[in-house]
Amino acid sequence: MTDTAQRRFLRAALPVLALLLGVTAITALVALLGNDEMALTVTEALVRLIVVVGLSVFIGNSGVVSFGHIGFMCIAAYAAAWATCNPMWKQLMLTGLPVFLQQAQYPFWVAVAGGAVLAAAVALVFGAVILRLSGIAASIATFAFLAIVNNVYSNWDSVTAGVSSIIGIPTVVGPWTALAFALGAIVLAFWFKGSRFGLMLRATRDDPVASRASGVSIVRVRLAAFVLSAFIVGIGGTLYVQFLGVATVDMFYLQLTFITLAMLIIGGMGSVTGAIVGVFAVTVFVEFFRFLESGVPMGDLVLALPEGSQEIALGIGMALILIFRPKGLTGSRELKLPGLGSSRRAMAPALTTTEAAARS
Amino acid sequence: MINFAQTFIDALSLGSLYALAALGIGLLFGILRLINFAYGDLITLGAYALIIPSTEAVATLFIGGWPWFMVIIAVAVIVVAAALLSDLLVFRHIRRADPATLMIASFAVSFVIQNLILMFYGSRPKSVDLWSNLNYQIAMGGLRIPLLQIVTILATLVLMGGLTLLLKRTALGIQMRAAAEDFRMARYLGVRGNLVIGLAFAISGVLAAVASLLLLSQTGTLSQTLGVPLMLFAFIATVVGGMGSLIGAATGGFAVAFASVFLQAYLPDDLRPFRDSFVFGIVILMLLLRPSGLVPTKALVERV
Amino acid sequence: MLEVEDLAVSYGGTTALAGVAISVKEREAVCVVGPNGAGKSTLLAAIAGGVPPKRGRIRFDGKELVGMRAENIARLGISLVPEGRHVFGTLTVEENLFIGTYATSDRRYAQSDAEQLLGYFPRLKERWRQPAGRLSGGEQQMLVIARALMTRPRLVMVDEPSLGLAPKIVDTIYATLLALRAERGLTLLVNEQSSDRMLKFSERIYVLRNGRILLHGNTADLQDGEAITRAYFGFDEHHAPATSEAAA
Repeated sequence: MTDTAQRRFLRAALPVLALLLGVTAITALVALLGNDEMALTVTEALVRLIVVVGLSVFIGNSGVVSFGHIGFMCIAAYAAAWATCNPMWKQLMLTGLPVFLQQAQYPFWVAVAGGAVLAAAVALVFGAVILRLSGIAASIATFAFLAIVNNVYSNWDSVTAGVSSIIGIPTVVGPWTALAFALGAIVLAFWFKGSRFGLMLRATRDDPVASRASGVSIVRVRLAAFVLSAFIVGIGGTLYVQFLGVATVDMFYLQLTFITLAMLIIGGMGSVTGAIVGVFAVTVFVEFFRFLESGVPMGDLVLALPEGSQEIALGIGMALILIFRPKGLTGSRELKLPGLGSSRRAMAPALTTTEAAARS
Repeated sequence: MINFAQTFIDALSLGSLYALAALGIGLLFGILRLINFAYGDLITLGAYALIIPSTEAVATLFIGGWPWFMVIIAVAVIVVAAALLSDLLVFRHIRRADPATLMIASFAVSFVIQNLILMFYGSRPKSVDLWSNLNYQIAMGGLRIPLLQIVTILATLVLMGGLTLLLKRTALGIQMRAAAEDFRMARYLGVRGNLVIGLAFAISGVLAAVASLLLLSQTGTLSQTLGVPLMLFAFIATVVGGMGSLIGAATGGFAVAFASVFLQAYLPDDLRPFRDSFVFGIVILMLLLRPSGLVPTKALVERV
Repeated sequence: MLEVEDLAVSYGGTTALAGVAISVKEREAVCVVGPNGAGKSTLLAAIAGGVPPKRGRIRFDGKELVGMRAENIARLGISLVPEGRHVFGTLTVEENLFIGTYATSDRRYAQSDAEQLLGYFPRLKERWRQPAGRLSGGEQQMLVIARALMTRPRLVMVDEPSLGLAPKIVDTIYATLLALRAERGLTLLVNEQSSDRMLKFSERIYVLRNGRILLHGNTADLQDGEAITRAYFGFDEHHAPATSEAAA
């Protein structure tokens, strides 16, 4: 590696590293110093971080909003539930499961991999069909997908236990496991963004006509992002059920779709940094309102916000962001470290001057 | 044959309800390119307006106890006010946003309305006895038709007739149709954007109000997600019918209802629970094979 | 009558107009010429309130238009006929024609104006109750021009009236615009890609390229057209001009 190449690599890698360190530091702080309840909160937030980063791989790069990714999360989560829940219970309740799932109980890793691969496979088939649709039509199709997944998993009683929960899933996921996967998801998202496919996809987003003319197959690059993002979201799903210990269809429907999209939008749809910031901001925000709902003692009085305040506040917050800062808190830009960007910034004015000279 | 006729009337009545809601959604999409997710919650809101706000399990009728025409007017006023408010507070400020952003914003509005209802009325479903004499069944040559189905069909016919007259015969209606087709061009010709949009929100509010009354008389149970399934099917209806075309929205409403009622009646038993999946599957097929819908409008082909 | 100063417009990151200044006097016919993508349509749309400028001033009879809504600009007496014949396809020819008078609720002259305009475009009369979407391209262009005149504007802006139409129809349309101008004392601001027709039609010409005015002057002084061609094709710039492409 030459000196400049090395510096270029560093310039790209250091902000990612800083983000990874930041996420790790926050997790460590809460997990080591906080109580059990806070550890649960941070674990759930990290699982959501994986999901939102997964979402941003597709939405951020393609510019197409997907309402269907929680469907992939559901598929992966149920696969993990099938793999890990108690065989006795499965034989009793999930009579339609294939024998290899029904009779055995698989370890954590198998459940994660199996679930994520299943989600990615479904995304491959479904994406190949719908990703040639443009913009809003594709969004509507992903929405229909979410509704189909919800309908099938709510009614396929012999395999999913219908609207009742699958219980007895070993709860092996804690903050550290969730952190490891979250870091992995962030790295994967940055890798994809910088890869040839990521660049091509953003080109199709910014100027579909020109990039079509230049021979970029929109469907192919979109599909790559779609499958990868379903895979990451799927990992989130498998972790989620192994964190909660139960799986219910309605956990994976409109509410979660809304919250994850809200996180992505509040942080900034166009960047991985935005996804991370969004999860962090919304979690802090929601926890703050949850705290207010539980009651704040003021002298002799306990002042408490009524139930539902945190959701209302989140809805209002999201609307405000859409109105006043449509690119999110981060402006959809990636993290830039001071000092590192300086060489490029120094070049920019020089470039403008030469350009101006050329024009005059 | 009797069986078929019964199914047909079921579908017609369900289709009326879907068509009403689909018209409300289609109207807003046509003019604003807004897929209003909060529409289902406006329907829910209309139903909750009938009872006294309380978190008790038993519902006490408030507006719901008034004479029927007063009920309709009062609920319409409340829902229209809520619809206009959602425009004033949120949608008006993001007029230039792309449809996906608008849809997400409506998601946020929906979330807020649902949780406001939760806050004031509690989360337990409540049974409400609205116009229960409509459940009286009329026997007609072997058929048994609930009065409510006839009322639903008639109410839809009246509203669609009124809407047609408004859109075809009045100066404001013609401006709305023009704006629905090409909003920017209409404004270049002096059509007042906010007036037309406000009117569209108001009309969609009236349609939601009537839909909520019909829906509640049918289900008899209030919950804060009452209107969501109706919104979903109506939304699908607008896609199937052709987004932005009002005739398409109504047609789509009936098409979706017929598909789902007949699938329910004729699907094999073990596939019946998955009926909705088939209906949603039809939407995806429709987008792929005929993206402009059953009743295409030229304007929308360029838009979607 | 119309003064545009230092007008800049950009879409996302790309600049469409960078510091454009034009002026149009009462009863003038002014033409903006330039290749595809020069920013001509953006200029007219910005004047009509369809796109928000990044900076600059647009004054009509001394009144600032920047920040005004499109419908209110229309009510001041400015009418835009955008490129691409935006008829309301599902509305009838009649409804299309009257839409502006419905909107302004000024129907005093509606009937007589319609009859006068139909005198110029008798084909529209034959199609009176048909959906406008079924008209031919030429008929649609006639309809949008007639429609724009129904609100009695003082300034009419037409964006590429000849695009995709047979030369014979284009001639009719220009003849009508000129006749109406004489009859009603209209002021005209027209965009075109080709300059030769403009030389006959207009009194003054602006050449727009890459979002900047490169040349402007009286049509009479530019009659040989050479300066226009140079500005249009960018011979003045140090890059080798893509003449073959531009000429095609």
